[in-house]
Parts: sequence; structure tokens; C-alpha cells
Amino acid sequence: MPHFIGVIIDEKRMEKIKGTPLEKEIKDMFGGALKMIAVPIPEEKSKEVLKAFDKARIDSRGYIEDVPVAFRRAVFEEMIKAKSLNIIDNVLARISEIQEAAKKEDEYIPPPEVE
Amino acid sequence: MPLLRMPPPHGGKLVDSVVKNKDRAEKLAAGCVRFELKPTTDAKGVPIRHVYREIMSVCYGFFSPLEGSMVREELERVLKERRLLSEWIFPYPILFDVSEEDYKALGVKEGDRLLLTLKGQPFATLDIEEIYKIDPIDVATRTFGTPEKNPEVVRQPFDDKHPGYVIYKFHQPVIFGGKYTIINEPKFKEPYDRFWFPPAKCREVIKNVKKWRTCIAHQTRNVPHVGHEMLMKCAAFTGDVEPCGGILVNAIIGAKRKGDYPDEAILEGHEAVNKYGYIKPERHIVTMTLWDMRYGNPIESLLHGIIRQNMGCTHHMFGRDHAAVGEYYDMYATQILWTKGIPSFGFEAPPNEVDYGLKILPQNMAEFWYCPKCGEVAYSETCGHSKEKQKFSGSFVRGIVSEGIFPPNVIFRPEVYKVIVKWWKVYGYPFVNNKYLKLKAQELEVDVPPLEIPKA
Repeated sequence: MPHFIGVIIDEKRMEKIKGTPLEKEIKDMFGGALKMIAVPIPEEKSKEVLKAFDKARIDSRGYIEDVPVAFRRAVFEEMIKAKSLNIIDNVLARISEIQEAAKKEDEYIPPPEVE
Repeated sequence: MPLLRMPPPHGGKLVDSVVKNKDRAEKLAAGCVRFELKPTTDAKGVPIRHVYREIMSVCYGFFSPLEGSMVREELERVLKERRLLSEWIFPYPILFDVSEEDYKALGVKEGDRLLLTLKGQPFATLDIEEIYKIDPIDVATRTFGTPEKNPEVVRQPFDDKHPGYVIYKFHQPVIFGGKYTIINEPKFKEPYDRFWFPPAKCREVIKNVKKWRTCIAHQTRNVPHVGHEMLMKCAAFTGDVEPCGGILVNAIIGAKRKGDYPDEAILEGHEAVNKYGYIKPERHIVTMTLWDMRYGNPIESLLHGIIRQNMGCTHHMFGRDHAAVGEYYDMYATQILWTKGIPSFGFEAPPNEVDYGLKILPQNMAEFWYCPKCGEVAYSETCGHSKEKQKFSGSFVRGIVSEGIFPPNVIFRPEVYKVIVKWWKVYGYPFVNNKYLKLKAQELEVDVPPLEIPKA
């Protein structure tokens, strides 16, 4: 059974998705208050993700959670490049670069600007 | 059935071991050997506990009737039966631990009084009744239980991934058992000062300011999302002839596991719930207890019951996976304890049905999720659309936060989220990390005013 990586689609990401085949993959969450694309990850690949990030785990919904922001960002970037959800191999090919970025995330994550 | 009233403190009387008279304080500490309190650290040198928090919680009566660091016989009793020598139930070893080197350097013996300093200033005394040694790994293992000895609820052996186990594992091996007395009251810094309601004051506020006859406690180590808010609102419908008069949020403040929220955000996040009227302040109060959380699920729930009964609550809400981390315990372990008891931990019956037990009443709750079909946050035991449910998974919410996405109103109230961002800007990180733990151990929640103690 595949697991999933949930990629939240905010307004900025929506701009990049509009007009691509990815648009139909968007799911409503919380009554439409949040939009998300669930990227399926075959079980043997999800094992590689869990191995790469020690905090990562699979939650009760079957989603891979507690992964670094850099990983989610890379998943989105590869989705946009390929205009497809079949991108986990491309993401795993960048794993050392993502792990490097994730190390910095243990110390600092830039705060968002909110009013 | 008569109407419910505020229960007496656990053990009958609140401990008050805080000396406010300066002359008396000076006399108590004159000529004592000094010892500067320091944090307990893990294998990587990261602070995971500070004994000053235990001393504060003992002396201000949160842990009543406990008066100090346990002597060996009491430690054994707690580990075997979760009872003090006075028979009153108590879940955890509370120990003043020092290294062999410190013990040798101090040169103290049983019967001596030790002056404990904090941030270089006199803070408290410890009347050393007994000096003994422990095997910290043995204490850690017996504190939380094992699948073999506690098969009712322990599902896997505790290990170095469990923060509470690690706290006991890294206790120093020499224990000074004896009574604590605070001789120089620390001053809380902002924002902690607004949330400091020691049990005697808290009882006074509940009775005379809030005028709540019944009050339900909400344990928290989290910034509240809407699921937590609904839990509080719905659990408060319990009571007797009417719902509970008030909700007392009691945040555990101290070293926490990485990935939890900073303490300041937890407190101010809950405060925002009442400040912005999601639960009106007439019915809601935010308080705190100093304690380096052990994440001991059923064992921790006993301590929560003791603290909140001492603070004057009639009820306590307990959810699934209460105060838990990982899958060490059955997800219903706390609810099993409070409905049937756990014989292997010394409870043939629930802790509020045994002699010398608690008077606070449990309110066991399941979970809240968002149901797109109902179009609202729903209670899992009521909503019939479990296939459609969207859970408030802690990891999912943390994922949204760390990506810097402004969460919708149905996940976080905007004012609560802004509190997260406020403290994120202060620490450069939205969650507890090693840097935060090190800074916290250095700064603490308090400052200690100068106090001159005569040499003899």
C-alpha cells in the first residue's frame, strides 16, 4: 500500500499549478479552508524517506510526516518540473542536498511575515 | 447526590515551605555549605531537566503532600506501589541527585543542612535526612514499567528515544533525601509571571474571584489548535446539575522534547483563546506548573490529578495518548487507569476509588476531528462519518506551521497562530530545539533576588 506526502497548496503554489494537469489533483481539506495534493509514495521508497530523516514517521492516515521543510519544498519543485505526481525518484536523487538543508533547519527556520 | 464542591488538597493540607521573613531565612541558611543548582543533561550535553522546578513545585504545594526529595524507603514504595510513606498516592520519584565528585567536594553528611543557590543567589535549603545511591537506569526502567511487569498497558520497552526515561537515566547516582524550604522567593519573568497561580492562590481565585463551584482541568504541553479548544469546551459540559463553572488550563513548563512548542507560546496561545473570546475569560483561566515533563501517560496522569486537585479542580479531562510520546504505552493507558485501575502499578481500582487516593474526578474523552460532511469539528464518538474524518494530527499541524503557511481558522485561531509567530521571531524557530533548551536552562523562568547569608 502506498504512503503519501501531503503538499499544502497556498496561494503562491496555486499560481504555479494553475493550468497544469496537477490542478485536478488538488483536494479540499477542512471544508475547503486548506488545499492539498497527496503525492503517493510506494512503500519501498517511503522506507528510504524514513531512513533519510530520523524524525520522519508515518501517521495514522498513512502520511509521511515530521519531514524537513526542505524535503516538502523539493517534492513541490519536482512536481512542478514534471507536472506529474510520479516524482519520488527525482526527489530521492537530491537527498544529500536536502539533508544538508535540513541540518540548518534544526537551528533556524525563517519566520513568516504576518500582520 | 450532593452538589460537588472544591476537593481538599491531596493529603489533606497544602504544603507551604516558602519562608517570606528575611531574618528567618538568614537564620535558616547561616553557615550552611552551598551548592549551585545545575541542569541535568543528556549524553550530548543538552539540558533535559532542572531540579529547581521540582523544588518550586514541592515548596509551593503543587506536589502536596510531598515535602522534599525522597528517602530510599519512599523511593522504593513509589516505584513498587506509587505511594508515599504516608500512604498517599504519588507517581514519580522526586530526587535531589548529585554526582560522586560533587558529593565528595561538598563533604556533607546526614543531618546537615545544604544551602541551594540558583543563578548564584541563595534560593532554598535541603535538610539532609538520608544519603544513598541509586542505579539511574534501574530507577528509569521501574518508573515507567516494562511489557513483562506491566502487561496491562506497557507495549514496548522504554529506551533513549523516550524523554522521561532519559531524564531518570541521566540522574546523578548520589541522592540526598530530605525536606526542601525556599528561603528566597524567585521572581518570575514575563510572560510567566501572569500565569503563576500556586495552589493556595489558585484555590482563592477559583472560590472568590471566579466563583466557580466546579472546575475542570485541562492539561497542556501544546499551543491550542481548534481540536484542543473543542475538547475544552465539550469536556466542560460535565459537572453535576450544570456544566463545570470554569476551565483551568494548566501548562507544564520546563524542558520538553524537541518538536514541542516553546513554553512562552504555549502560555500565550492559551491566553489568546480567552483574550479573543473563543472561550470567555469568565469561564477560563491559564496557569502553569514547573515540571520537566516525563511523558509517562498513565503515570503522568496521576501527577496531573494531584497537581490540579491541589489547585482546586473538581474534574480533570484525560484524552487518548494522554501526556504520551511514541507507542510505549497503550493509547488508552490513562483511561484504563482511571476507569479500572492498573494492578501492576499498584492500582486495583481507579486512583479516585482507593484509600489515600485522589478526590478529583476523571472525564475521559476520545478525540475531535473535522468532519467535512457535518461541516464542523466533531466528536469521534458522536460523528458517524469516520471515513471522511480529517484529523488534527500534531505532525500535520507542525508541518503547516514550519512551512510558514497561515493556517485556516478551523485549525488555528488567527490570534493563536500569531502568538506562535511572535515567539518564532524571538527564537528563530517555531519549536523546541537544542538551542532553545540550552538558552532556557541558562535563563530559566525566574530571576533570584540578591540575599546575603551570614557565614555562621
